[in-house]
Amino acid sequence: MSMGSSAQLRRLKPLYQLVVNNILAIVAVPLAAAVLLRAASLGPEEILARALALRPAHMFLCAFLPAAATVLYLMLRPRAVYLVDYACFRTNPNCRVPFATFLEHSRVWPGFDERSVRFMTRLLERSGLGEETCLPYAQHYIPPSRDLESSRAEAELVIFSAIDDLLAKTGVSPQDIDILVVNCSLFAPTPSFTDMIMHRYGLRKDVRNVHLAGMGCSAGLISVELARNLLQVAPRGARALVVSTETITPNYYMGKERAMLLPNCLFRMGGAAALLSTDGAGARFRLAHVVRTLRGASDSAYHCVYQEEDDRGNVGINLSKDLMNIAGDALKANITAMGPLVLPASEQLLFALSFIARKVLNNRIKPYIPDFRTAFEHFCIHAGGRAVIDELQRSLTLSDEQVEASRMTLHRFGNTSSSSLWYELAYIEAKGRMRRGDRVWMIGFGSGFKCNSAAWECIRPAANADGPWANCIHRYPVHIPDVLKH
Amino acid sequence: MPSAAMTVAAGLATGPGSRVTRFAKSTAASVTPVRPGKTHALSPLDNAMERHTVHVLLYLRAAPGLDREQLKESLSEALSLYPAMTGRLTRGEGSEGAGAASADAAPAHRGWVVKCNDAGVRIVDARAAVTLDEWLATATGDEEMELLYYEPMGPEPYIWSPFYVQLTEFADKSYALGLSCTHIHNDPTAAALFFHAWAAAHRRTTSPYPPFLHAPALAVSPTSPPPPPPLLAEKASAPSPASTDAAAMSSATFHFPASAVRALLSSLEPGTTPFAALAALFWLRITGAADGERELTLALDFRKRMYAPLPLGYYGSSVHFTRARADLASGLPAVAAALDRHVAGVPEEELWRALEWLHVRRQQPQEGDAAAPFQMYGPELTCAALDHVLTYGAEFVAGVPPARVSCRVGGAAGEGLVLVLPAAEGGEARDVVVTLPAEATARICRDAEVLRHGAKVVFGAKAGKEE
Repeated sequence: MSMGSSAQLRRLKPLYQLVVNNILAIVAVPLAAAVLLRAASLGPEEILARALALRPAHMFLCAFLPAAATVLYLMLRPRAVYLVDYACFRTNPNCRVPFATFLEHSRVWPGFDERSVRFMTRLLERSGLGEETCLPYAQHYIPPSRDLESSRAEAELVIFSAIDDLLAKTGVSPQDIDILVVNCSLFAPTPSFTDMIMHRYGLRKDVRNVHLAGMGCSAGLISVELARNLLQVAPRGARALVVSTETITPNYYMGKERAMLLPNCLFRMGGAAALLSTDGAGARFRLAHVVRTLRGASDSAYHCVYQEEDDRGNVGINLSKDLMNIAGDALKANITAMGPLVLPASEQLLFALSFIARKVLNNRIKPYIPDFRTAFEHFCIHAGGRAVIDELQRSLTLSDEQVEASRMTLHRFGNTSSSSLWYELAYIEAKGRMRRGDRVWMIGFGSGFKCNSAAWECIRPAANADGPWANCIHRYPVHIPDVLKH
Repeated sequence: MPSAAMTVAAGLATGPGSRVTRFAKSTAASVTPVRPGKTHALSPLDNAMERHTVHVLLYLRAAPGLDREQLKESLSEALSLYPAMTGRLTRGEGSEGAGAASADAAPAHRGWVVKCNDAGVRIVDARAAVTLDEWLATATGDEEMELLYYEPMGPEPYIWSPFYVQLTEFADKSYALGLSCTHIHNDPTAAALFFHAWAAAHRRTTSPYPPFLHAPALAVSPTSPPPPPPLLAEKASAPSPASTDAAAMSSATFHFPASAVRALLSSLEPGTTPFAALAALFWLRITGAADGERELTLALDFRKRMYAPLPLGYYGSSVHFTRARADLASGLPAVAAALDRHVAGVPEEELWRALEWLHVRRQQPQEGDAAAPFQMYGPELTCAALDHVLTYGAEFVAGVPPARVSCRVGGAAGEGLVLVLPAAEGGEARDVVVTLPAEATARICRDAEVLRHGAKVVFGAKAGKEE
């Protein structure tokens, strides 16, 4: 009997959604019909007589108050922020690092012991990375060089080529840029990357530039939110350039702690540049919402991703064992905040009802997980690692096709930190799956522990598959085995 | 760039007072990933060449398109055509006869197989303190070895790169590209053709000699054990030379302009080849005052000597060793003619017999070192005919061939090795590289007969080595 009722419920669900999501129309139409009928029954002379009986003050207020309210609303609401276009750094094929080369280097360099090498081998085989991920030139050396000059060279290569691509795509000249936000977590030389960009492109003297360092892998969305806020107070039609990258040259861990070897295996070269503006002409996406959730108040979340020295003085990033649990908690907090903003009324009602039922009736009733597929068509989940993507697929009950962009980005580019969301968006567009009106959800995770997400709406999809996936998209999606034996 | 302390740790340092400094070691991977699980089988002859190494050195004059980064990029592209080069050597599967043989005996029988795991080749970056012209004028034959880098196989072949490329930049932005590899993979012909592929990738085109990666071309399956070919059997049973012998060898390069070679040929019997003429000349001068019948071992490339010829791009060793006899007292023309007759008359049957014997030797379970690889080039005086090798065709800049190409074969300790190579001039011009015991090299550099025939000593012997 329960099977029959749940099947019936499933059939009723679309009807339920139709009713609840359009409740205003469903209520307004009969009401308007009733008013018209009443007016028709009264007759025009009767209506005119009643209207003339009204006091002028009341009539004035009747006209003035709604008009004033509308004008105030239009003036005070936040300006819409649009994504004019974005460009990702296209990796150079001869920066490619096959598994065999990576493992050989770790064997040949005496700083790693046998256990560490075996650990890294197992990690790489199960990581979900492919054979085409790229490391900067400095890390192709035996031993890898981590000096300042090589780090700057990597940063310049990535940032400048992404910005060159972006300026060519949008046709914007560097003089038109009003705001510049760059995020790079683990490398912040003096002068900053923003000054480096100013110097190279000759930006204006009054550009508002900010460099965000130390904000972790979710800093890409933090930069987007910062740019959005700055655009609210900038002149109308201002343009903000947001650059997200991570410089991995100085951060190769040369010690033996296993928890700190993981970033070596996963982090790869990548970067992206995006142009935001309050002027919607020619824009491709509209930024609907940005929700940031910080869990740093709790001890375990704070120490989850922690940069420290091991006993030999090698600096590395220590990833704690309960990273997945903390990520799950942070995600729940984030979607609790994001849900009311993006979910349709039907899902919110169901969630509210289930919440009340759990509180009032019985805590053993299963909580209703809102179906985010009603709110978004595409999902860009930070390609932090295979485990992260698996965990999110499970908790959001997403299909394989919806997490395909994340998995394929991890396979082709590795974990490029804050720019991985842009590579995933580029994948969806290169595959031709983006349509006008589609909504995209970008979810980023990072040290802190932070979970940041952004909701975008597509205005105009990409015209062609040009971009970082241009010469390999035809080979994707690929099947990624659980353990890659090479 | 790594710090100086790290460079020393990586074992790159050249000797004190050297004009060449190696400052970084890295690995170059190919541009396209290799299909997983791919292997390249090696022929019995490849496996037999384990004791030797091949070194080919190209000197390129400074040009706008020639800089380190672009050369490395084009190297990665060329490597996409050679999946065997970026692979690693592992022991093959056990043979049928091995059975439950003990662990000590088994490895030597199983031969090498290349596992194409996409690991890449090692690149060493170096700088020379002089300009290219100064170097060509003043460097000795042994100093040339500093432009090459090679690491012998260590205890773990799986992480050992069989190929090393050294990119040396001279003070005037000229480059020397040195390719060193184990003879198991390549002989000098194949190594030179890799430079063709690299140069073509650098010019954004393709080489007319693509690699032919099909070792079964030389596979043999003899029905009955063949009789051992006398030359190889003798080499196999010869005791390995003491290690000190190898250190006492030194090299020198002689350049014979076309006019000199023509003059030399005109004084010999008509129809003598330049190889035979020069081989005979050096044979007579190295052996000194000798008479009676003597033997000279010749190393010939048999790619084009077979009834079903192999393409020039055949990837692997196709060197055949044969022994020529001549009466040294009969004078240069007769000796040269004898060499020519011998070379022309080598039957194909002989080289298949050698292959079969090498194959069977490796398969049979034998005690101790009986199945171990032996020295193929030497220890007796050997002369290799490499003048068909297309060294000067590798044009990194369109229309500009390399300024000079040198070649060495390592592991040929003993009486010495003479390589006859083509020269930049083309035509009949030749370069002859001799690797002999140090005092013999010093002597031959000053030999009046050799110099009378128009030789110019390009890379001479080390000064002050006379004894």
